[in-house]
Amino acid sequence: MRPGPAGVTRVVCLITVLAAVGLLPWLSGRDPALTVLRARSAEQEPTREALDAVRRDLGLEAGPLPLLGTWVSGLLHGDLGTSWVSGADILPSVVTGLQVSLALMGCSLGVALLLASSLVAPVLVRGRGSAGAVAAMLAAVPEFLLATIALLVGGVWLGWLPTSGWQGPENMVLPAVALGVPAGGLLGRLVADALPAVLGERWVELWRGAGVSRGRIAAAALRRVLPPLLPQFGMVAVGLTGGAVAVETVFAVPGIGRTALGAAKSQDLPLLQGSVLTLLALGLLTGALAALIRRRLLGPALRDAGLSLPPARPVRAHPAVPVALAALLAVTIGWGLLRDPYTVNTTVRLAAPSWAHPLGTDGLGRDVLARLGHGAASTVGTAAVICLLSLLAALVLGFLPRVTAGAADIANALPPVIVGILVAAVAGPGTGGAALAVALISWPPLAAHAAALVQEVRASSFLTAQRAIGATPWWILTRHVLPSVTAPVTRHALLRLPGIALALASLGFLGLGAQPPAPEWGLLLDESRAYVERAPWAALAPAVELALMAGLAVSGAALTRRRPKTTRVRAAEEAVVGV
Amino acid sequence: MSDVLLDVRGLVVRYGKATAVDGVSFTLAAGEVLALNGPSGCGKSSTALAVLQLRRPDRGEVRFEGRRLTGLTERELRRVRPRLQPVFQDPYGSLSPRHRVRDAVAEPLKAQGRWDPSEGPARVAELLDRVGLDPSYGERHPHELSGGQCQRAGIARALASGPRLLVLDEPVSSLDPSIRAGVLNLLADLRDDLGLGYLFICHDRAVVRHFADRVIEMRDGRVTSEWSPRPPDAALR
Repeated sequence: MRPGPAGVTRVVCLITVLAAVGLLPWLSGRDPALTVLRARSAEQEPTREALDAVRRDLGLEAGPLPLLGTWVSGLLHGDLGTSWVSGADILPSVVTGLQVSLALMGCSLGVALLLASSLVAPVLVRGRGSAGAVAAMLAAVPEFLLATIALLVGGVWLGWLPTSGWQGPENMVLPAVALGVPAGGLLGRLVADALPAVLGERWVELWRGAGVSRGRIAAAALRRVLPPLLPQFGMVAVGLTGGAVAVETVFAVPGIGRTALGAAKSQDLPLLQGSVLTLLALGLLTGALAALIRRRLLGPALRDAGLSLPPARPVRAHPAVPVALAALLAVTIGWGLLRDPYTVNTTVRLAAPSWAHPLGTDGLGRDVLARLGHGAASTVGTAAVICLLSLLAALVLGFLPRVTAGAADIANALPPVIVGILVAAVAGPGTGGAALAVALISWPPLAAHAAALVQEVRASSFLTAQRAIGATPWWILTRHVLPSVTAPVTRHALLRLPGIALALASLGFLGLGAQPPAPEWGLLLDESRAYVERAPWAALAPAVELALMAGLAVSGAALTRRRPKTTRVRAAEEAVVGV
Repeated sequence: MSDVLLDVRGLVVRYGKATAVDGVSFTLAAGEVLALNGPSGCGKSSTALAVLQLRRPDRGEVRFEGRRLTGLTERELRRVRPRLQPVFQDPYGSLSPRHRVRDAVAEPLKAQGRWDPSEGPARVAELLDRVGLDPSYGERHPHELSGGQCQRAGIARALASGPRLLVLDEPVSSLDPSIRAGVLNLLADLRDDLGLGYLFICHDRAVVRHFADRVIEMRDGRVTSEWSPRPPDAALR
């Protein structure tokens, strides 16, 4: 098969990502020599000679291309270099981290499959209905939030399970649940939404009439549903690699995700390169595996459109649900915005909710409601800006359909957390870097949607009629093509707003976004973890608000699927909202 | 006879390796109805698209009002297009679903920069009336009209820019037989009143016999025969 423009874009994107990883030491604006010197010997003065010696040692003087060359050739020999901080070889620590992470991911995959089958089973038995709002909700809750809640409930309040470390199987339970539940919710929802339509197909009637047992029909329906959904399953696996960073951090699991985050924070770039590369390879490998299984299941003759599913019948949310959720969020945020988030009052540290402090105070006696309001507003505001920029990019790039398809594929294979780690390693953690990271992966799905719409409009016969009446290309573009593309893509961008806000919050939670004392939604949740036993409301408040946001993401998306759409447009719209 | 409006010579249209139109030649006089008749896939619609220059022919020549269209740039063509208008088969598909009927009818004038805000609306109402639609229908969207009404709106749009030749690509094929007669009568009246020439693409022999002055039979991209449904004397009015 000849590689099309989409394939070329895919390769270019992949090379760009790889080169960015390889060039991290050079891209990083701040002087890594200083970091290394500090890490190696705290007493030594950062004199010019000492710094130059370190630079020579790291090979930073040679410039970007030799640096990349050394890194790539080392990579080919299985040499990931040595840590700047500890001076140890990277490969062993990456391998041990990977072992831990793979064990964790295996367990959470088990949890996910268990959950997914329990969501799908009722649909299969009844032959209709759907997994309902529960599955959609579970799929939308980000891992860092679920991990925090699992830690609070299972570890702290009930005290059943250890909350940190990696000693035995009991350590695995909470992280596996936190990582597996969103994945299981997503898998279950995808299959359960697609099943009713498949069970309504003609062949099911025919089989029933012929006396085929219900079990065999159910098995055949599953067999029919799975192959077209496999690419989405691949994305679930990618999501696991991103989620692993958050979950391992919360539960102090010494896996590859935590290693990557720690390396980014301590500016240990070779270690960061090694672990990010491993995470990326893991994501791409599972994606390729999903594609391979799909091809095996379908056979070579039935590719792509050869076996498409009938349109899914997703959950319909009552319009009041998203409106109520949005109103509740708006009221809390608005109320909090009127209060002062910075005033430190150590006499009322960790106070319980009262009239003076409706949601209590944090460890420095600052008002939680105020911090929540300001934090959520800045997160949502940043998300809105990202949304707008992604929308504009999508409208421009939508006219290059094949290019956007490739870019969308790569963006789908990159969890926001990993992009966030890379950006933070280059630019240092901050609101701007987090926004850039989320923006980098939020435009391609919109662009793919816009491209599908542009193709659809261009193929319609009224555009031919437009040319025949003597309209100029500019007239056709501004009067016909843009208007029919802009409205649906804008709606799509709006639907992605909560998901983008959650992605930003997850970066903030991991310390890759806004820095203290700025109030940021995810950061707030992270800060409150330290005193969660003594002041659970301070941790619960941002968690509940984030859960509301997740609910808004789900119920808002369920509202829009009214008009019939072509398969391509639908596929572009339904590409999982990446959190 | 009268002056030649359209002169097509040696027209060839290819889609990849397949040749849809293979050396078709004919002429059409002002005020004449020339039908292209043949089974589906014989190349009649491709001929229509090539005459309209919506698909540039691979070989051959199209002359309209004595001017060679095949060599013109898109910009030069846009000056000719007002006098050479199409009516398509699918009445709903050829009107934008997002625009009102009056906007669709006004669009040729607006797109060609000939719109006069003081007289335009009255002209649109007049056009709608001319094709047998109550001007109040102008406020509706295409999906609020029946197939026949939509096709009339499409004809009104084609008339808006003052054409001399209409290329009618199966204009009544997707309509009910009862509505079909009404639209054909409308087209016949318009021809008589405005002296339009029609290149009429149709696969239905009965309709062709009733409506056309001259019929060209096509098969596999070639002209196989030419006949007249009625003696030339009867065609004189």
